[in-house]
Amino acid sequence: MSQFKGGDAFEGNQEANSFTSQHSVNGGTQVALPNIKLSWQKKFRSSLSLPVIVVIILFTLIGESQNSNFLNGPTWLNILTTASFTSIVACFEGFVLISGGLDLSVGAVFLTGAMVSAELAVKGFPLIVAILGALLAGAFVGAINGGLANYVGISPIIATLGTLFCTTAIVSTLSKGLAIGPLPDSFNRLAGGTWGPIPSVIFYAVGIALIAHVILRYSTFGMKIRAVGGNRLAVDALGLNAKRISMVVYIMTGLAAAFAGVLQCSYLGAGAPSYGSDLALQVIAAVVIGGVSVLGAVGEVSGMVIGCILLSLLSIGLLLLHFAGSMQDFVVGFVMVIAVSIDKIRRTFMFRVSRNDIKRAKSS
Amino acid sequence: MSVETEPIMEIRGAWKVFGHVVALRDVNTKIYAGKILAIVGDNGAGKSTLVKALSGINRLDEGTVYFQGKVVSKIDPKFFRKLGISTVFQDLALVETLDVASNMYLDAPITKWHFFANRALMYQAAAKTLQELKVRLPSVRVAIGELSGGQRQSVAIARAVLRDNPIILLDEPTAALGVRETGEVGVILNTLKSRGKGLVLISHDLEFVFKHADIIQVMRLGAVQGIRKVSETNREEIVALITGLKSQESDDSSRKEHN
Repeated sequence: MSQFKGGDAFEGNQEANSFTSQHSVNGGTQVALPNIKLSWQKKFRSSLSLPVIVVIILFTLIGESQNSNFLNGPTWLNILTTASFTSIVACFEGFVLISGGLDLSVGAVFLTGAMVSAELAVKGFPLIVAILGALLAGAFVGAINGGLANYVGISPIIATLGTLFCTTAIVSTLSKGLAIGPLPDSFNRLAGGTWGPIPSVIFYAVGIALIAHVILRYSTFGMKIRAVGGNRLAVDALGLNAKRISMVVYIMTGLAAAFAGVLQCSYLGAGAPSYGSDLALQVIAAVVIGGVSVLGAVGEVSGMVIGCILLSLLSIGLLLLHFAGSMQDFVVGFVMVIAVSIDKIRRTFMFRVSRNDIKRAKSS
Repeated sequence: MSVETEPIMEIRGAWKVFGHVVALRDVNTKIYAGKILAIVGDNGAGKSTLVKALSGINRLDEGTVYFQGKVVSKIDPKFFRKLGISTVFQDLALVETLDVASNMYLDAPITKWHFFANRALMYQAAAKTLQELKVRLPSVRVAIGELSGGQRQSVAIARAVLRDNPIILLDEPTAALGVRETGEVGVILNTLKSRGKGLVLISHDLEFVFKHADIIQVMRLGAVQGIRKVSETNREEIVALITGLKSQESDDSSRKEHN
């Protein structure tokens, strides 16, 4: 399974084949619209997450040669569980980046979701109220982000940095810097347990990633998200209201971050003010590593998830290799810069014609 | 100037003022089915303002827009498009990273269950439209970024044609194109004309205008300087009107402005 740049631009080609034959019969015109056969080099070059998968495999194999804990089940369940929390947020942070924005406040929203739901649960409200309260708070911060970035028109970096500080300050003031717990059993069961041998968090993450994938790839809204990131002026000229589309994306991100916070809270059995402190940068690093372009329009959900898995593998793998904790941030930062550089190069060559294309053109 | 049929679209007594600049000065414009109306004029003559009024982007300060004999009261680009007026913008309004079909259907995608994009149908319909317009493209699945300027222009026109609207406005369709690509756009215009579309062509390219237009409306400093049938005029007269060497004379439109 490989992703192609632009998501929409280079998909399979069986259908195109049937169209052309059909039209050359019916239409009778000389104009042909033949299908595009991608050379494997081009597929590889334009594939967003394939290099990341290669890195994951290499790192695992190298790690395994140093420490035999690398390839066993519990380690990987651990890696995937850690990746689950980031990937729930990352899927929608990816939407924000694809739509040409940026959301630095997801960590603060994550914390808010955790603390609001914990507080409500401890106060004796039913589980569903606790979750809805957290989602409402997340959507609220998301709406403020989207409103500032679109309707006030300030840079999303500044807007979301502002909400990051404000939200964190409000939450830590209200909680007086203390953890909230112990939580009722019903709350802990939400994401605390396992389904079979697998932690239930992983199922939540898979479910949310699937929803995000369907939205981005198959819905008309996904098409519009890409269009807003690709050419906002064009979207407005067509009367599509880019502001509203972007606004919805920010709200979705707020919802996802708050929900991930709820899950974290349930998973760990308490709400603590330290949650989500470095989540935003991790999530952004993960989606960029996964091939989402910081310049907008390009990216796939599968890539975002794979990026999260790589980051999680690095943080746990480096522990297994006895790296100092402080060096892990170095690796994350390093990998992120590499990923952005690759993104930049890929954007430059995105629409460049390859030698194979010329060869094909000559032969046709 | 006598014209046999009723216009499909008409603007009467249009005024538009931006601060000190009078962009439109009592302008009248008529668009007929199966005819190409070229609007020419120097920079700042009010061509773009007129197009924006015709496409529903700008609200006129004074004046009325008629479509098929009825007054259009709701000024909104989306509504105008639904009504039957498609616009090909000068900057084309295409998204480079999306493929041809997605771009053509961006404003109104074909959906499945109101949520999913029906790609298969969009590819099919986009390919059909492009083929009918005899556009040369590798595939409807290539990204716009991979296409040449002429191909992009053709896709933008094809998008306007997709809705089968009776009126198509083209803002400088050949401004960025070479000779061969300009010819390709000309072919498309002829195809559309033969299908009975009412076309409005804004252009600086007088050669292209004389080759394809039926009626030329010359704008100068926001006012209509003259309206001529291509068959009854020549290049010198049009240039004289554009530059103001020849002032407007007895014409059925625009009479009462500047003394």
